[in-house]
Amino acid sequence: MSKPEQIDLGLGLLDHQLVDSEGRRCGNVDDLELEGLQEGKPRVSAILVGPPVWRGRGRLGRLAAFIARGETVRVPWEEVDEVAAAVQLKKTARELRLGRGDDRARKWVEWIPGS
Amino acid sequence: MSKFLQLALGILAAIGGFVDIGDLVFNVVAGATFQYQLLWVVVIGVVGIIVYSEMCGRVAAVSKRPVFDAIRERLGFGVGLGALISSEIVNLMTLAAEVGGMALALQLLSGLPYRVLIVVGIVALAIAIWVLPFEWIERVFGYGGLCLLVFAVAAIKLHPDWGHVANGFVPQMHASEPLVFAYFVVGLLGAAMTPYEVYFYSSGVVEDGWTPKDLGMNKVNSMVGYGLGGFLSFSLMIAAGALFYPLGIEPQFIGTVAMGAQVPLGTIGLLLALIGILFAVGGAAIDTCFSGAYNLAQFFGWEWGKSRRPRDASRFTLAWGVLLALALLVIMTGIDPVMLTEYAVIFSVVALPLTYIPILLVANDSSYMGRYSNGRLANVFGLIYLVVILVVAITAIPLMILTHQGQG
Repeated sequence: MSKPEQIDLGLGLLDHQLVDSEGRRCGNVDDLELEGLQEGKPRVSAILVGPPVWRGRGRLGRLAAFIARGETVRVPWEEVDEVAAAVQLKKTARELRLGRGDDRARKWVEWIPGS
Repeated sequence: MSKFLQLALGILAAIGGFVDIGDLVFNVVAGATFQYQLLWVVVIGVVGIIVYSEMCGRVAAVSKRPVFDAIRERLGFGVGLGALISSEIVNLMTLAAEVGGMALALQLLSGLPYRVLIVVGIVALAIAIWVLPFEWIERVFGYGGLCLLVFAVAAIKLHPDWGHVANGFVPQMHASEPLVFAYFVVGLLGAAMTPYEVYFYSSGVVEDGWTPKDLGMNKVNSMVGYGLGGFLSFSLMIAAGALFYPLGIEPQFIGTVAMGAQVPLGTIGLLLALIGILFAVGGAAIDTCFSGAYNLAQFFGWEWGKSRRPRDASRFTLAWGVLLALALLVIMTGIDPVMLTEYAVIFSVVALPLTYIPILLVANDSSYMGRYSNGRLANVFGLIYLVVILVVAITAIPLMILTHQGQG
């Protein structure tokens, strides 16, 4: 496991691509869950993914959250394998309940020959 | 296949793929209106697209992150979403215009009704996208687009005053019609530096699985491919300047553009011009269609890519399908493709900074790029062009309104 010693959460983690253990792209880091702010020892406890989270991401984000459907998926920080340009996860998207939009949309595509 | 052959094939495809309907319209109308006086702008535009495509290609090869990932990471969700929406609108307008251009070229070749040919064009594009592997899409349309070289022959055959042509490469303003001239400067820069080119190029680098080992290829591809693509732009403008300017003709139809080759070279010139236009705008239609789907998928983190099976990248697949269908609806209304092109280019200019600033920032980020981050040369050029881009972005719409789209 390699997580950088120092990271700018805003630039180096937020809004980055999530990639599962099989190399599948399965969402972006829409928001972060922080713990221990009161104790003065803040740590990232989870990555949050999904339209409801966009509500906290500016005016357009609130609008997008209002239009888009879907629920929040919480990926515990322990499931993160590596943070580079993309965020590599330890498990598959299915196990983490990520990328389900692609699973749902599959039925619209898989009837076409050669899909 | 030998490395050299592969490189040569890639470059040929890049040359043929450079010109799209925006370049056709703006170069030809600029030549007809100001003869050779705007050639210098093409040089500036081509160097700009070389600088930024090299940069985004390098970012994509090193970090596997295409442009729209960078846009969201650097601008955040809210502003990034704004960039996404504006880029989708411009992409759709451009796509519809390219499809209209295809249908017009097909109409001149076949004589069949325009609206029937729109449908034929869309179906042909959908089949090509579905059936052909990524690199063959680039090649088929790129090589077909090379027929546009007929305009280089035409330009020579039309015996332009080469002294005047050479003088056109010196930056200048026009004394009596400065605003119309400035409008064309902005339009030509926009046509050369269209953002969908960098979306498509960087995503293609990721699709092809390039690594830092391919950075030399990236450099050559963007310099030679876009550089020689610019040569096609010169040819179009010089041919139009030699033929239409003295006659006072302002080309408003794709057919008039093809006349630039027909008058000096006869029927064979006309045929090559129309086939070249057909493939060039057809290829650009696929590029814009894919760019739209790439951007959407990258912004929302979906699986994407032509190299994935359609069922594995299902939302991406639906996205390009829906974009094609929307383009069909837009162009079927009977809207004039040339006018639509002008609007698309000018609107894309306004959104340029939202695309190019994040590229410059990411290419400078060593946590992202390691030892491959921007050198001094790339940064000097990057910053100069950032200023250019900001100036044209601010002036584009006012100039369009003040000059009634270059009508004076």
